[in-house]
Amino acid sequence: MSTPLLERFIGEARDLLQGAASGLLVLERQPGNEAAINDVFRSVHTLKGSVGLFDFPAFTKLVHAGEDLLSVVRAGQLGLTSELVDMLLDALDQVGAWIDSIESSGALPAGADGVSKEMTAGLRAALPADFGALQAGAPAAHAGDLSGIDWLAALPETDRLAAFAAAMGGAEINAVEYVPVEDCFFSGEDPFILFRQLAGLHCLAIEPTEAWATLDALDPYRCILRFRALTTAPRTEVETLFRYVVEQVRMAPVPPHALVSVTGDRNGGPVYGDFVAEARQLVAAADWPALRRAVDALLHITGPALLLASALRWLDAVLAVPTPNPNWLNALVDCIATGETDLHPLAFPPPPPAPDSVSPLPSRPALAPRRTGLGGISPTAARILESQRTILGLPLPAGGLGARLDSVAQTVANLLAAEARRAADSTAWTAAVDAAMAQDDIQPVLQVLDHWLLVDDGSAAAAMPASGDPARREHPGQEIKQANRVLKVDQAKIDTLMNLIGELVVSKNSLPFLAKRAEQVHGSREMSREIKDLHAVIDRLAQEMQGAIMAVRMLPVSEVFDRFPRLVRDVARKLGKHIDLVIEGADTAADKNIIEALGDPLLHIVRNAIDHGIESPEDRDVGGKPIQATVLLRAFQESDQVIIEVVDDGKGIDPEKIKESALAKGVIDEERAARLTDQEAVNLVFMAGFSTAAQVSDLSGRGVGMDVVVNGVEKAGGSVTIASVKGEGTTVRLSLPLSMAVTRVMVVEAGGGMLFGIPMDHIAETVRVHHDAVRRLKQSEAFVLRDAIVPLIRLDRLLGVESPAWFGDGSEEDAVLVVRIGGNVVGLVVDQFREGMDIILKPFDGILSGIGGYSGSALLGDGRVLLVLNLKELL
Amino acid sequence: MPFQFAKNTVTAGESCTVEDALPLLEFLQSHRGAKVDLGPCTHLHTAVLQVLLAAKPKIAGLPKEAFLARWLAQALGPPVRKTAK
Repeated sequence: MSTPLLERFIGEARDLLQGAASGLLVLERQPGNEAAINDVFRSVHTLKGSVGLFDFPAFTKLVHAGEDLLSVVRAGQLGLTSELVDMLLDALDQVGAWIDSIESSGALPAGADGVSKEMTAGLRAALPADFGALQAGAPAAHAGDLSGIDWLAALPETDRLAAFAAAMGGAEINAVEYVPVEDCFFSGEDPFILFRQLAGLHCLAIEPTEAWATLDALDPYRCILRFRALTTAPRTEVETLFRYVVEQVRMAPVPPHALVSVTGDRNGGPVYGDFVAEARQLVAAADWPALRRAVDALLHITGPALLLASALRWLDAVLAVPTPNPNWLNALVDCIATGETDLHPLAFPPPPPAPDSVSPLPSRPALAPRRTGLGGISPTAARILESQRTILGLPLPAGGLGARLDSVAQTVANLLAAEARRAADSTAWTAAVDAAMAQDDIQPVLQVLDHWLLVDDGSAAAAMPASGDPARREHPGQEIKQANRVLKVDQAKIDTLMNLIGELVVSKNSLPFLAKRAEQVHGSREMSREIKDLHAVIDRLAQEMQGAIMAVRMLPVSEVFDRFPRLVRDVARKLGKHIDLVIEGADTAADKNIIEALGDPLLHIVRNAIDHGIESPEDRDVGGKPIQATVLLRAFQESDQVIIEVVDDGKGIDPEKIKESALAKGVIDEERAARLTDQEAVNLVFMAGFSTAAQVSDLSGRGVGMDVVVNGVEKAGGSVTIASVKGEGTTVRLSLPLSMAVTRVMVVEAGGGMLFGIPMDHIAETVRVHHDAVRRLKQSEAFVLRDAIVPLIRLDRLLGVESPAWFGDGSEEDAVLVVRIGGNVVGLVVDQFREGMDIILKPFDGILSGIGGYSGSALLGDGRVLLVLNLKELL
Repeated sequence: MPFQFAKNTVTAGESCTVEDALPLLEFLQSHRGAKVDLGPCTHLHTAVLQVLLAAKPKIAGLPKEAFLARWLAQALGPPVRKTAK
């Protein structure tokens, strides 16, 4: 079963795994790298989320365990050790294997459950002991902390009283603020209903975060609500509930006394002097029942809207426990005595019950950092001003003006002070208040407030982008809006496109033939010229198309390089060597086929470098080298070649040792060994069946040596060179064509008019050799080219074609193509040289694929098939 | 039909989903002063709630469902008395 969804998942999962693995390696080196841990965590988390869409329980469990472990690491509860990284990488590998299996068979392999169980147990065992209980079922969600809850006093008193009672009963109160992102409705969230599932909800205030737009301009699907709640649910439960939106939720424990705030109309009731005196005595005597009775009695005869009633209700609430806190009681009684509208009387007593967890004046410190300076005020301050304005606008009870004005005046003055407004503002305010008092009319005050609100609306809004609350402004939705501009296209489609373009190039090449025909057969020179013009245009377009499709197929070498950090780390750990892998030029691009062809050879070279090149730390120490060895992986472009170098600072290759070893293995004979230069000796490592490793390890040295590398690279049209300085290190250099799609060949004629293509890379030069100059050495021929003897091979004979009988004198010349194959120079006798051309090489397939000696075929412009020779196989 | 739109009143259905926010808003935009009866409602999507909060229509009846009744009363204010016919 392979659904499009599953296919997408497989692709994504691989990317995620790669991301997680490379992140882990970064982390191992820099354990404190927060970006890396977040990346890894996000990758694994996303993977867990996507695999949940399918029915692969073993997979899900393992990823989940990994995620749990990472979350603990992220929270700083657990240090990331190399063992831990090993474990996680193993888990990722396992997951990668499962993904392969899912891709091929659509299901997990048999036994996956057992493997998963084992690995999951291993991962879980690494978790801190208390983790299981904490995380049962909950993903690692951590809501942000609320700093300075400045909105408690704004909650309805009844709710606060209820929460307070619960707190007195031993419950822990948490304040939760949830500001959903604006586009949350589009992701199927329903913030309000989330609160329905929240146990122990004592208060839920739902407010807009900004002023409502007019009804006509309202966008019903842009969420601008803010939810504030008090709950007795423990933090973990809240986090579980809000786990999908946890970054939008902030919460903080609320000490009970922070809930207490006395509000209400402070005038309009008698002064309970008697009660105050009595209450103080009762508090001193700790006679709680009596005090409670007194409070109850008084509460019955006090108007519920009054400040006093509020204070009494709080007194009652504080007294509800068997042993009330006398400080709190005193503070509340003081509040009654003075009639001060003190928002949080209980925060003031010198020994508050939990001094470190109290913010004495919750609303004001929150304002201070937000002041916006010249003219602007913080949104909170604007809200306060607005509410004061509203209070003033309310219908007045008779004679209540003085009291109300007083309280508003005080609030605004405090606000001005907190906002550090210009002195002029304060002066204006005082003047307005005085005027209002004098006239017994609130108009002057209203005017000032209105003026401020008007001006400040503008300036505050202007100041918002710069100084506004960043947490609320920059929600991740913006990233989503910048649509992903990257297309993931199946490679087969690109290949088809490339083939089509290739055919276009071929058919375009037939136009010159047509032009020739027009001229020669039909005698129309003009027609011929027009066709040629047309050909030039199509030629240009075809070339551009070809360039474009090549660019599409270009991949950065990082595709291959990315797996090396992991590999080097693993191998180095296994061998007990300390190796630092440096990667340079990872963004150098080359054709996808080239990049893919690079993988295995590079793997081999790097393994070789680590296994044979780099010495053990002890040896390095003795040799005076830093213990940490360096392997440099470097890629760069050189004309139309990509060069990849693997440089190590290990012990280098000892030419003498190579010679000995080669002799011992019978790769060369003694005579030849004596003649070898050091460089030639080093090059011996490329020969088949050569391995110098003293002992066979499981990493390299399995009898397949560098010859595998050479074969791989040459198959992709590249070459390998090696340079080494004994004791200082080795450099292996691969050079590969940027693109394999177009091959430049030289067309030659052989076998009596047959055409063959010979890859240009191999051709050193073309010469004409007099028949007399050809020397026969037994069966073989040779000639002298610039003082060097070059063996001569006849292509006809090589291909088994009857060579035409030759009757002529010695003054005739042979056309000789001097080719260089694997360091040997050979002269190839052909009938005739033709032109060089760019062709699109198509390897043989089907029944022809078994034929050796040819690397493929190409179509010529006149419709003939050109066979391209693979000289390496032929010679 | 989650919302039933009458001449000048809207009656909520049992479940008011996110799709209902727009029709409700459109009705309230064209019928200023319309009343909303949430009585039968047992599920109210946040988007609908937001429309109600923004438009501040007269609430003819609050939901009977406990959670909604408790917190909507606070958010939307007490229901208006039915005016005598």
